[in-house]
Amino acid sequence: MDPSGIFSTSYRADRRLVRTRWQAAALALFIIVMLAAPYLVSGRIIAVLNMMLISAVIAVGLQICTGYAGQINLGQAAFMGVGAYTAAILASKTGLTFVLTIPLAGFAAALFGFLFGLTAARIKGFYLALTTIAAQFIFHFAVLNLPSSWLGGSNGVTVPAAELFGLRLVTETQQFYMNLAVAALMVAGAFGIIRSRFGRAFVAVRDDDVAAGIMGINVAATKANAFLIGAFYAGVGGALWAYMIRFVGVDQFTLFHSIFFVAMIIVGGMGSIVGALVGVFIIRTIQEVIATVGPNIADSVSFLGGDIVFAGMNVILGGVIALFMILEPKGLMHRWNILKSSYRIWPFPY
Amino acid sequence: MRDQIRDSVGASVASPLAVRGATLKFGGVTALDNVSITVRDDELLAIIGPNGAGKTSFLNVTAGFYRPQEGRVELFGQNVTGLRVDQIARRGIARTFQGTHLFAGQTVIENIMVGRHTLMKSNVIQAFFHYGPVMREETEHREAVEEIIDFLEIEPIRNRAVGTLGYGLRKRVDLGRALAQEPSILLMDEPMAGMNAEEKEDLARFILDVREARKIPVVLVEHDMGVVMDLADRIVVLDFGRVIAEGTPEEIQKDPAVIKAYLG
Repeated sequence: MDPSGIFSTSYRADRRLVRTRWQAAALALFIIVMLAAPYLVSGRIIAVLNMMLISAVIAVGLQICTGYAGQINLGQAAFMGVGAYTAAILASKTGLTFVLTIPLAGFAAALFGFLFGLTAARIKGFYLALTTIAAQFIFHFAVLNLPSSWLGGSNGVTVPAAELFGLRLVTETQQFYMNLAVAALMVAGAFGIIRSRFGRAFVAVRDDDVAAGIMGINVAATKANAFLIGAFYAGVGGALWAYMIRFVGVDQFTLFHSIFFVAMIIVGGMGSIVGALVGVFIIRTIQEVIATVGPNIADSVSFLGGDIVFAGMNVILGGVIALFMILEPKGLMHRWNILKSSYRIWPFPY
Repeated sequence: MRDQIRDSVGASVASPLAVRGATLKFGGVTALDNVSITVRDDELLAIIGPNGAGKTSFLNVTAGFYRPQEGRVELFGQNVTGLRVDQIARRGIARTFQGTHLFAGQTVIENIMVGRHTLMKSNVIQAFFHYGPVMREETEHREAVEEIIDFLEIEPIRNRAVGTLGYGLRKRVDLGRALAQEPSILLMDEPMAGMNAEEKEDLARFILDVREARKIPVVLVEHDMGVVMDLADRIVVLDFGRVIAEGTPEEIQKDPAVIKAYLG
């Protein structure tokens, strides 16, 4: 619902994402702050922001697959891994530029995701979740057991720095701008897909696949497409990851990581692109705080031993997520939307 | 599509929808027993019958939800038996549901826009970049959707999530979504069920208006005798999966087999 006084005079205006002057101003301010971030905050924070931007790409992909199309996906980290390995191998063996390896990584992951999407045509819910867990294990198994000259086996693959016209993107600030540009493009694209016939078909399949079929939507193909697009995003995120860490190893892409991506979209709110971004911000911030506070606690209560403290930190992180699901099961965006509309219709209750 | 098939087969042969000798069994239960029903151009055909007579099974066979063990379904002379639901829908069948099967997470506009899905042509890469042609296509189809919204008199609720609407309005959105597909034939499964008198009157008026404006045949499965007798051009009566009578409302009212089936 728009605030009073805002009227669209064309259908094109009615479809706009940025609808008020304040929203435009907030968006502009956000973009300026992001562009200026390396001059405003320390290198440590930039490293955290890099992590958030990469996670944002992957979580937005998962949001399309799970939040919009309703296809439970516990294999997003495996899809990310396929992208990361594709970029790593292409960059280290063929010397292709990142401008090509990043989309190619996306396509490789999309193909892998599509194969699992095909199973979604026949199974739903819990069973589908199990099948996507299989993606995790197949990925793990393939990397460790294929000849190590192919994928590096348990040693992983070292990735050369991303390079554009002779400029090597090695510092965190340089990588930050690359990640920011890719994340901005991918998030804008996600809004595009969601507002198009494909986005509506995803929601239709999620809400009622019988009715979606009678609308002429090929339900099986739509589900497979949701996996394809979600995995493409994971692959692009994986490639960014490979260029940031400069090394890929199989234990960077485990079921544990997949579950964190699911946690991000649940905390932010299912079925909302902005929700995915909010979820990434919250989960990554909590993780960062815990990573910072943890060692201090371990030092001050040394009789407990570091292991217990670190394990305890993960328990706290899990507890925070569980608390979110109990108190705010529809995610923060849902609460935000309630607040926004009650502000706009005040003083009336509805 | 419709014109092409007419040209190739000839208008006299190709009725919009013909079900020939359909038999549908669930284990030992015979839901449809050698049912043949032909829908004529521009007519409002009502299918009535006691509970369990096979009315909804007939619609489900027609729309491709069930595949009959015997018999065939023809759309404009073309055999569509065994095709997927979405393939049959793209050949021109639209259907409304008993109860509602709306997409609860979407607004009224979005629900009706889903009906335009197969009429829109943009691909996923165009959608990703969302530039000129995609915007134009969206606007174009939005205009068609707004016409339907005007027609069904649901302008004030166009931006409401359908999950928050009352039953009568939901049924209207359901009809709007089917109309957005620009179907060549419209199937309606008990549209009046669960409605109050006023809502029934509204919906009856919309059904008549649809025929007037679109000139498409409408197949109505309905329990409400008053509605059926008022609206239908022709009535087919099913009982225990068999066609027991067929004719105009006046003929059906006097038919001894029908009276027996309804009164026992």
